[in-house]
Amino acid sequence: MLPKGYINDMGAISLEQTSEQLLGKGVKNLIVNFADVQFINTIGLSIFTGIVQKTQEHKSLLCFTNLKKIHLDVFEMVGLIKHVKVFKDEEDALTFLKGRG
Amino acid sequence: MNKKIQLKRMIFCIESLVDLGQEVSSAKVLAEKMKAALYVVTGIFSVPTAALFIYHSQRKRLDLFVDKGHRDKIKHDMQLFVPPTSIRRFGMNEPHTMSNLSKTKFYRRNNNVFLKLQAKIFIPLFAKNEFVGAIALGQKLGGLPYPRAERDVLRVIAHQMAITLHNAQLFLELAKKASENKKLFTSMQRIYHDTIQAFAAAIDAKDDYTKDHSYRVASYAVAIARELGWKKNDVEGLYVAGLLHDIGKIIIDRDIINKGENLTTPEIREIKRHPQISYNILSKVKFPWKNVEHFVRHHHERLDGKGYPDALTSTQLTDGVKILSLADAFDAMTTDRPYRGKMALSEAFREVMRCKGTQFDTKISTTFFNILRKELNGDVKEQQILPHLHNVDVTGFRALYLISAYEESAADRLPNNKQFILQS
Repeated sequence: MLPKGYINDMGAISLEQTSEQLLGKGVKNLIVNFADVQFINTIGLSIFTGIVQKTQEHKSLLCFTNLKKIHLDVFEMVGLIKHVKVFKDEEDALTFLKGRG
Repeated sequence: MNKKIQLKRMIFCIESLVDLGQEVSSAKVLAEKMKAALYVVTGIFSVPTAALFIYHSQRKRLDLFVDKGHRDKIKHDMQLFVPPTSIRRFGMNEPHTMSNLSKTKFYRRNNNVFLKLQAKIFIPLFAKNEFVGAIALGQKLGGLPYPRAERDVLRVIAHQMAITLHNAQLFLELAKKASENKKLFTSMQRIYHDTIQAFAAAIDAKDDYTKDHSYRVASYAVAIARELGWKKNDVEGLYVAGLLHDIGKIIIDRDIINKGENLTTPEIREIKRHPQISYNILSKVKFPWKNVEHFVRHHHERLDGKGYPDALTSTQLTDGVKILSLADAFDAMTTDRPYRGKMALSEAFREVMRCKGTQFDTKISTTFFNILRKELNGDVKEQQILPHLHNVDVTGFRALYLISAYEESAADRLPNNKQFILQS
C-alpha cells in the first residue's frame, strides 16, 4: 500500500478497508510504504492500529517502509512499532519476505 | 516506561486534544463528528476497538451510536440497560476498568454486551450533571493496561465528547419543539381560516342572491393585491377583509337585504349601516394582519367622496380599500340580483371604465382587467378570477380591452347604455 499526503481524517479509513480486503483474500504479507506520507495525526494512528489488529487476526505480517523519523517516533511512542516490521525501503522488505519463504 | 518517555507520551496526549477539539467542533453531522472523535481516542491509546453509546432516558438504556473495529454482526441491536440507581454511582466522566465495574448491577445486567465488545474501559459521559452517553474502549494493542495518567487524559476527553453530545441533543430537542410549534401554528391557522370562512358563509346565507359573494370578493381582491406585488401577509389580511366585509349585514333585517329594489329611504339608510357595523364587530378582534377592520369599514367609499360611511376622498383611501371596493362592485355586477340579471364581462368592464376616477381607482381597475385578459389569453399558470365567472358571458371583452388599451379614454366614449346602481 502506498498512502499519500496527510493521513489525518476519516477519508483515510479506506486504507483500513483495503488492508482488510487484501487480508480477506489471503494475502499474508502487507507492506505499507510511507515515502509519500507527509503527516499523520491521531485519526491516522487509529487507522494503522486497526490495520495492525486485522493483520494479527489473519496471522499475517505487516511491514512499514520509508518511514520518516517523526513518524517512526510517534509509532514508537504509542507502541505500534512493536507489532510491525520496519524496513528502510520496499526492496529491503521484499528481500526479507523472500528470505522467509 | 521511563520518565522521559512518560513525559513525551503526556505531551503527545495533550497535543492530541487539539485533534479532538477540531473534530468535535467541526461542521460535520453528529454521527460523523463522534466517529472521528472516537478515532482520535483510539489513535491516542492504540486501541483497535471502541464504541460510543447515546443514553435514552425514557428507555433507560444506552444505544450504540458509532463504533470502531467491531464486526457488523455483533453491532446489531447493541444496547446497555442502565438501572436508574447506577447512574448516580458512575462518577462524572470517570473511566472504569471492567474489574472495577464487574461488581455492579449495571455490569451484571450487561455482561454479555461487554464481552462481545471486548471492553476494558467504560466511561460514562456527563455534561452539566446530565448523563448523556458512554464510551466503551477495547483492549490496547499488546494487551497493555490503561495507567492512571492515561485514565486522567481519558476523563478530559470524555468531558469534551459529553459536551458535544449534550449540545447536539439540545439542538435536536429545540428542532423537534420548533417543528411541533410549527405544526400547532399551522393547525391553529387552519382553524382560524375555517372559522372566518364559516362566518363568510353565514353572512352570504342571509342574502338569497349573494351566495359565495364574500368568497369571490376575497378571491378577486387577492388576485389584484398579488398582481400589485403585495407581501404575502398583507394579501392574507386583505383576503380575510374580503371574506368578512359584509359581516355587518348579519344584524340587518333579512327582508330589507332581500328586497332588492324600491327600498325606502329608511331601508337604504339601514343597509348603509353595514360597513360601520362590520367595523364595530371586527375592531374587537385582534387580527394578526394589519387594517382588516379599516378595509371593511371603507369598502363602500368612493374616490369622489360620495361613498359611505365617512365620505372619504381618493387621497384618504388606501389601496386595500380601493381593491376591496372594486372587487365588491365587480361581483355585484357579474351576479344576478333581484332587480336585474348579471352583466356580461364586457358590460362590467364598460361600467368600471365609466366610473374610473370617480368610484374606482384607475391603477386598481387597470390591474384587475389586465389579470382577466391574461387569464382569458391563457397567459397565467393559475386562474384566480375566471373560475368564479361561470355563466358570465366573457365574449367581446378582449376586443373591448384592446380598444381601451389603445385609447385610454375609450370607456368614456363607449355607449353608456346601462346605469349601474351599486347595491352590493
